[in-house]
Amino acid sequence: MTQETKPRALNRLKSMYALRAEVDRMYEGGVEASEEGKPVAWVMLEGWSNAILNAMGVKTVFPENYSSLCAAQGMAEPFMERSEAEGWPSHLCGYARASVGYSARMVDVGGKIPPEAPGGGMPKPTLLVASGETCDARFKWFQSLGRFFDAPVWTLESPSPGIRERLSSETYERNVQFLIKELKAFVAFLENLLGKKMDWDMLEFTGGGTNEINRLRWEINELRKSRPGPMHTRDFWSVMTAALFRGAADPEVIIEGHQKMYDEVTERVEKGIAGINRPEKYRMSFEGLPPWHTLGFLDQLAERGWNFVIESAYRPMRPRTVDLSMYDDPMERYVRRRYRSLEESLQEDYEPDEVEAIKNEIIRDGTSSRLGLKHISDYQVDGVVLHVLLTCRATSAGLNLLQRKILDVLKVPSLVIEGDIIDASAFNAAEALRKAEAFEETMDHYRKVRKELGMPW
Amino acid sequence: MVRIYFAGIDLGSTMTKVVILDEDEQVCAYVVNHTGAEHRRLANKVMEEALIQAGLCIEDMSFIMATGYGRINVPFADKQITELTCHARGIASFFPNVKLAIDIGGQDVKGLKIRNGKLLDFVMSDKCAAGTGRFLEVTAETLGLKLEDLGRISLGSTQKISVSSTCTVFAQQEVVNHLSNDVPLEDVVAGLHDAIASRVARMVRRLKVEPDVVFTGGVAKNIGVVKALAESLGCPILVPEEPLLSGAIGAAIIGKELTFKALANGETIQTGERRLEEATFFK
Amino acid sequence: MTSEVSKGLTRSIELYQDRSSRVKELRAEGKKVMGYLCIYPVLEMMTALDIVPYRIFGDLHEPVTEADSYMPAVNCPFLRSCLDIGLKGKYDFLDGIVTSHICDVGSTLSSIWIYALKPPFSHHIDMPHTLHETALAQEKGLLEDYKKALEGLSGKEMTSEALEAAIRVHNEQRALVRELYELKKLNPPLISGAETIQVIKAIESIPVDEGNQLLREVISEVKERSNGPQKKSSRLLVWGSIIDDTAMMEMIEGLDANVVMDDTCVGSRPYFDDVEITDDPLDGLAYHYLVDIKCSRTFRVNNYMDVHKDYMKDLEIRFSYLKDYADEWKADGVIMESVRYCDTHGYDVPGIRDYLDSIGLPSVYLEHDYTEGALAPLRTRVQGFLEIIG
Repeated sequence: MTQETKPRALNRLKSMYALRAEVDRMYEGGVEASEEGKPVAWVMLEGWSNAILNAMGVKTVFPENYSSLCAAQGMAEPFMERSEAEGWPSHLCGYARASVGYSARMVDVGGKIPPEAPGGGMPKPTLLVASGETCDARFKWFQSLGRFFDAPVWTLESPSPGIRERLSSETYERNVQFLIKELKAFVAFLENLLGKKMDWDMLEFTGGGTNEINRLRWEINELRKSRPGPMHTRDFWSVMTAALFRGAADPEVIIEGHQKMYDEVTERVEKGIAGINRPEKYRMSFEGLPPWHTLGFLDQLAERGWNFVIESAYRPMRPRTVDLSMYDDPMERYVRRRYRSLEESLQEDYEPDEVEAIKNEIIRDGTSSRLGLKHISDYQVDGVVLHVLLTCRATSAGLNLLQRKILDVLKVPSLVIEGDIIDASAFNAAEALRKAEAFEETMDHYRKVRKELGMPW
Repeated sequence: MVRIYFAGIDLGSTMTKVVILDEDEQVCAYVVNHTGAEHRRLANKVMEEALIQAGLCIEDMSFIMATGYGRINVPFADKQITELTCHARGIASFFPNVKLAIDIGGQDVKGLKIRNGKLLDFVMSDKCAAGTGRFLEVTAETLGLKLEDLGRISLGSTQKISVSSTCTVFAQQEVVNHLSNDVPLEDVVAGLHDAIASRVARMVRRLKVEPDVVFTGGVAKNIGVVKALAESLGCPILVPEEPLLSGAIGAAIIGKELTFKALANGETIQTGERRLEEATFFK
Repeated sequence: MTSEVSKGLTRSIELYQDRSSRVKELRAEGKKVMGYLCIYPVLEMMTALDIVPYRIFGDLHEPVTEADSYMPAVNCPFLRSCLDIGLKGKYDFLDGIVTSHICDVGSTLSSIWIYALKPPFSHHIDMPHTLHETALAQEKGLLEDYKKALEGLSGKEMTSEALEAAIRVHNEQRALVRELYELKKLNPPLISGAETIQVIKAIESIPVDEGNQLLREVISEVKERSNGPQKKSSRLLVWGSIIDDTAMMEMIEGLDANVVMDDTCVGSRPYFDDVEITDDPLDGLAYHYLVDIKCSRTFRVNNYMDVHKDYMKDLEIRFSYLKDYADEWKADGVIMESVRYCDTHGYDVPGIRDYLDSIGLPSVYLEHDYTEGALAPLRTRVQGFLEIIG
């Protein structure tokens, strides 16, 4: 569908463009590495393998991100069509289906990058690293690509305990040990595959770069609590790629780019400049993954004064300083620096009495109605857009429950919009816009309700 | 010499087709009529009409084969076989080199992989109306046009629109939006044909697209979809003179083959009760 | 007690139609009845503490009305149906629910269930997804947690002896199910696919020892009977996600085919391997539930430390048991079934098709949305497939 985008509605950050350009450079870097005969891994967004691979001199490319890049350029469709022709069921993840089609096209052209590939393409993988983190169907996805590549697949196990189980310190410690052993097995596998030894000092370095980028992203997001919201979700999504799918990029460049972004957002906060060029009528949160094929939809909402000040996906972790001096094992340091307990997260996020209340609720009920809502109150959100995705169970299954909690606990209403990450045909922008218009009255109503209850916004 | 005859009845979701063949596979009579929206289908009337046309009575039929969506409960048929097999057989009788057949009917889309006249594999759309004859009917209603005029109108398009949604309901909304933006009618219709073609092409590609590609079913009468499908598949498309009849003809031919096989083996032909009554779609 | 009246297949049908009848009696007698979702919440550990495991199923004939406000329609229609009838109060009699990380939707369902229905007891087993060495150790650790949770509920200690005894009686059940499946090797099979579902669902609705008794009755009855399935032209193997209703089997068996073997989870899947009794019984249980049971939720690979990759060998390791099934039960075609939106089964479809093609076994893929209405169009697909292979 042709969209009437009105670019002036969004006030984009200048520092965003430089970071976004890094993404192109990343893909170029992957292709160059491959041409030079260096190993390239296809990897997924997860917290563990990327720094390890980079430390071992493996360039990483991200099919998930590449599929969204294809969708944003309107070029995902033929790849998805091909995946269907290859016999992959059409309800499967849009990211996966686009990558299946891409891989099949690679085979067509003798293992090379297909000429129609946007953004320079992804080179043929030396190995694939799958993960079940945040979406456990992903480990089947890479395995199913086996039809096209001779590359081995490593499936990275990571724990995802239930909420009550996460409160137990025993479970936490067991999961730490599990991760250490699992990642060591992964390193052993890589050493065997690449015929070289792990450079543990390099891992400290590649892991450290990640931490610094995360810290800056966190600080930037803290600034976004300001009124009016100084940075729109679209800017966050644009730079998230450079920060998280950082495969072949130089961490220093990405750190510098984020530092500049931090400065620019700070300046906006000081001057009261918003992320949209319209009065901020509604502060919004976007829950779920983005509609990569029709991002301009958010511009249309910005036109109505909807400022997306925060979003649920790709959020940075709260930076932490952990004393790791007692651990000699570099892998143990790597794991403990990143993996935190629910107890710790609660201590960081809530006041002590609230922590106790939440813990008691979890022990009693197996869950807490307050979990997962903090950003809604922290950013004083008026309304939430829930993006229910046709092909993504992992991010969609819990949205209705979230909707209930947000309304029950915080008196903030949600608008459900159905669509997809990659498949544009699942999304009806005109219909969504009509719903959005009507939703404004709901948001107005709950603003009054919150006021009557004495809530801060 | 006593001639023997074979009937094929294809009870589709919207149309009922009856064909009577003689032993040389020459068409003696054929009738195409609306299946009707009622619970009980007047398939018997269509059959009677065909018999009258051929100047024959039901006892003259050596074998009556039922196929199509409503094949299960045809009280005057001797046997039932799926429309998948019957279409493949019927199409191969007019186009012996067919490798891929596409049938777009009122409520579903079928892709058939055929080699040497035999069905090897198939794909079928699910219960969604997108990309089917029903989709075009709804479109014609939305536009206030006659269904049969859509094809001709689309040929006048110079700049067809792109319809992003494959959902029938969403697509109609897009159509309304385009018309309210003064997009010429022919460009809208051509865009919808394209949407159908690309959806169907996407579905049948698993069977490998190799000529001859044959297109049948009610939608094959729409020249606009034929053209769009040829573009989407990147190869020429053959359409039989009467694209609605391939299932019924295939059914009659298979009936003939079963009969001849039984005769050759000295067996008696198993026929049903031959009650010329309404067919029911549901028990 | 009504259960004394009928036996064998009749009793199976009664339990299939009124699943909770027996466990409600047992509850009235003071027993604890524990709901569990999918086949992974180690039943032996419940049995060891005299807790009756009761499997949670959906209801294909009941339109989903309540689950919509908790879980979007683009999720597993089976799990949505389970949630829906749970929300309608049909599982209120249970003393609790045990779930596992079968898949993400299953885990989400678990937290929704707990949030919305507030069961008196709940436990979630965060099963790993691979056969890595670390995963096996992790699974065992999780079973230790589970053991503690169940002990807390029952107020009793789960001794090794009790657990071993439970493993034996569950192994006996597995052996009996396999014995029943032996009767499907005959032509025609002595028991149909639809009846098999009734029997399996029945034994998953009553205590294991009663289930074993029922299986013995069914086996001797089926061996003797003359009104078994008719001989048909094709013998089919059904691979799939979950078929917990007879409707689909009846549809297939109403055509010119016998369903002689299955690899589905209301069928052979949980019963075809025994649990080895190890020094620490949890070792054998961890191995069985993680390694032996072959649901698509688990990532299987030839040798995970091997840096070389061989697609066909990989497929063989993952799916050659299907060839064994087809050979032993003389199946001449395979139906691949999946509920829509089941990602883990969906990703296996191209690989299984490649494997079956390589051994010359024809297959057809059926995807459905777990409603009655989904079956009519599937009938044409199955019949068309039978016409091709027949």
